[in-house]
Amino acid sequence: MASNLEQIANWIRRRDLQSVYEAGAGHVGGEMSVIDILTALYFRILSVNPEQPQDPDRDRLVLSKGHTANALYVVLAKRGFIPQDEISTFLKPMSRLNGHPNRTKVPGIETNTGPLGHGLPVAVGMAKAAKLDKAAWRTFVITGDGEMQEGSNWEAIMAAAQFGLDNLTLIIDHNRLQQGARLLDTNNLAPFAPKLEAFGWAVEEIDGHDMDAICAALSSETVVKGKPKCVVAHTNKGQGISFMSDNVAWHHKVPDSVQYEQAMKELEGTAS
Amino acid sequence: MSGSLHLGDFTSAANVYGAGGMPRYYGDALVASAASDPRVVALGADLSAPTETDVIRDAMPDRFFMVGIQEANLIGVASGMAKMGDIPFANSFSVFLTRRCYDQIAMQVAYPKANVKLAGFLPGLSTLLGVSHQAIDDIALMRALPNMTIIEPGGPDQIVPAVKAAIEIDGPVYLRLQRADRPLQKDQTLPPFELGKAQTLKDGADVAIVASGLMIGQARQAATKLSKRGISTAVVNLHTIKPLDRNAITQWARRCQLIVTAENHSIIGGLGSAVAEVLAEENAGARLVRVGLKDRFAEGGSLPYLLQKYRMSADAIVEAVVEAS
Ligand SMILES: Cc1ncc(C[n+]2csc(CCOP(=O)(O)OP(=O)(O)O)c2C)c(N)n1
Ligand SMILES: [Mg+2]
Repeated sequence: MASNLEQIANWIRRRDLQSVYEAGAGHVGGEMSVIDILTALYFRILSVNPEQPQDPDRDRLVLSKGHTANALYVVLAKRGFIPQDEISTFLKPMSRLNGHPNRTKVPGIETNTGPLGHGLPVAVGMAKAAKLDKAAWRTFVITGDGEMQEGSNWEAIMAAAQFGLDNLTLIIDHNRLQQGARLLDTNNLAPFAPKLEAFGWAVEEIDGHDMDAICAALSSETVVKGKPKCVVAHTNKGQGISFMSDNVAWHHKVPDSVQYEQAMKELEGTAS
Repeated sequence: MSGSLHLGDFTSAANVYGAGGMPRYYGDALVASAASDPRVVALGADLSAPTETDVIRDAMPDRFFMVGIQEANLIGVASGMAKMGDIPFANSFSVFLTRRCYDQIAMQVAYPKANVKLAGFLPGLSTLLGVSHQAIDDIALMRALPNMTIIEPGGPDQIVPAVKAAIEIDGPVYLRLQRADRPLQKDQTLPPFELGKAQTLKDGADVAIVASGLMIGQARQAATKLSKRGISTAVVNLHTIKPLDRNAITQWARRCQLIVTAENHSIIGGLGSAVAEVLAEENAGARLVRVGLKDRFAEGGSLPYLLQKYRMSADAIVEAVVEAS
């Protein structure tokens, strides 16, 4: 029996896949890898209220790997921030649901992303502002592992440690693949944990598809006082769909009808 | 409208994976250049397939270097190699290649006249991916830099001469490139161009549409429609945006009452601004209308949809001419 969170994540995977298939574009591989993390955040960890998306005391989530916006849209819809009917407008003319998330259009989106390496510096600013206000809310930011090649991230990592931002959690979606190849064959940053530790962060490594592990690592009880926290989530690009899993071809490839049927069948097979 | 959603977008499967026999003008030109000139190397920041550099990566692995997703470093490395005598082509999407690392380009490429070629893709509104990926100010940025040459081929088949021209220049060049998303039709082909010389694609006496890049296609359609209405319309391919062919622009302005600039870019700082500067300084007489993105961010959408919405389509050019005449 899958847990409630796993069931929600499974629904989100199916809805995400359908949306990419129907739109004829999207970043399905990185969406499948991040969906468990997003599900745990929005359905267990984050203190957010769809009725009041601008509640000043809400927790903040920045999806820095903005190319996987569709996964976030589906999660926001499931959580009630936007109507579920709206998901099918993804990438369509006049839709709010563009290829990358837009803060001024979609309730629940905290900042625009799309250019990699933007989210973490902004999250540092949010966490710093919370400290300034002595507010209790937390800031979470999700980056891709390839994205961590951007130097701006490492500038932000230094700043967060210097500021002692223990209200900030960085989740690295470590699926070992980037746009065109493996990190290993591109610019191999891994392992991440010792690097973040060397920069003064508290680091935890988890299986990024294990709901219990995700929830435990993100829980406020595991915050280390005075240190920003990094969760290195070991994931699979294309998780849940056998022929996409760990396959770089699926960064932004769109399934044909046969592949779509097979992928749906596989996801339905693990639905409950 | 949804049927045309994939047009010109790098996410279309055929485009990314080289399937369907799509011509790879840039990728092939780069390999040909590297084969004939040992100084030519290519640098990537991920995005090998969308910038067609997988061609050189696979054909000449010792001449292709991947730095990772780090455009600022890409520019620095390219500058260093150029200063040692190589001719590096730095590749990414236009928006990340220019806006993201402007200071590096200004101080390590333009100022020292480093022999770096910047090859940027997804010009202007040519992507579904939205504002973060739409280069609407890249020409403005590059134009403001001393020593920079800017070439935007009028069509994919002008990419080959553009790469050649870039190598012949001993200094920084920005190539603004759009990949072919289908085999070219006969009426879409263009003659090769001469660097720095505006290219007349169609003669006319009343109106001259000065365009670059994918707006050439819109301009040609508009000219046909206008000619049918009795308005004799010229189409000029301004493939070299810097240095600008001031002479040609002045002459067109003396000959025609109306100059229309058509650019897949903000109307601020790009081709329209460049032409406006010449018209004002030369006191050339013709009226000017600028077609382009009017000082706003756009959104994700198919190219035909966006061109229509932001009044940049052939029909919008026709309307602009009719309103101004
Ligand atoms: C600054 C910048 N450079 C390049 C890109 C193009 N791009 C989009 S996604 C991607 C690969 C990202 O890989 P990773 O961060 O590992 O994400 P994931 O594997 O989770 O999809 C690239 C290069 C971009 N969006 N921003
Ligand atoms: Mg990755």
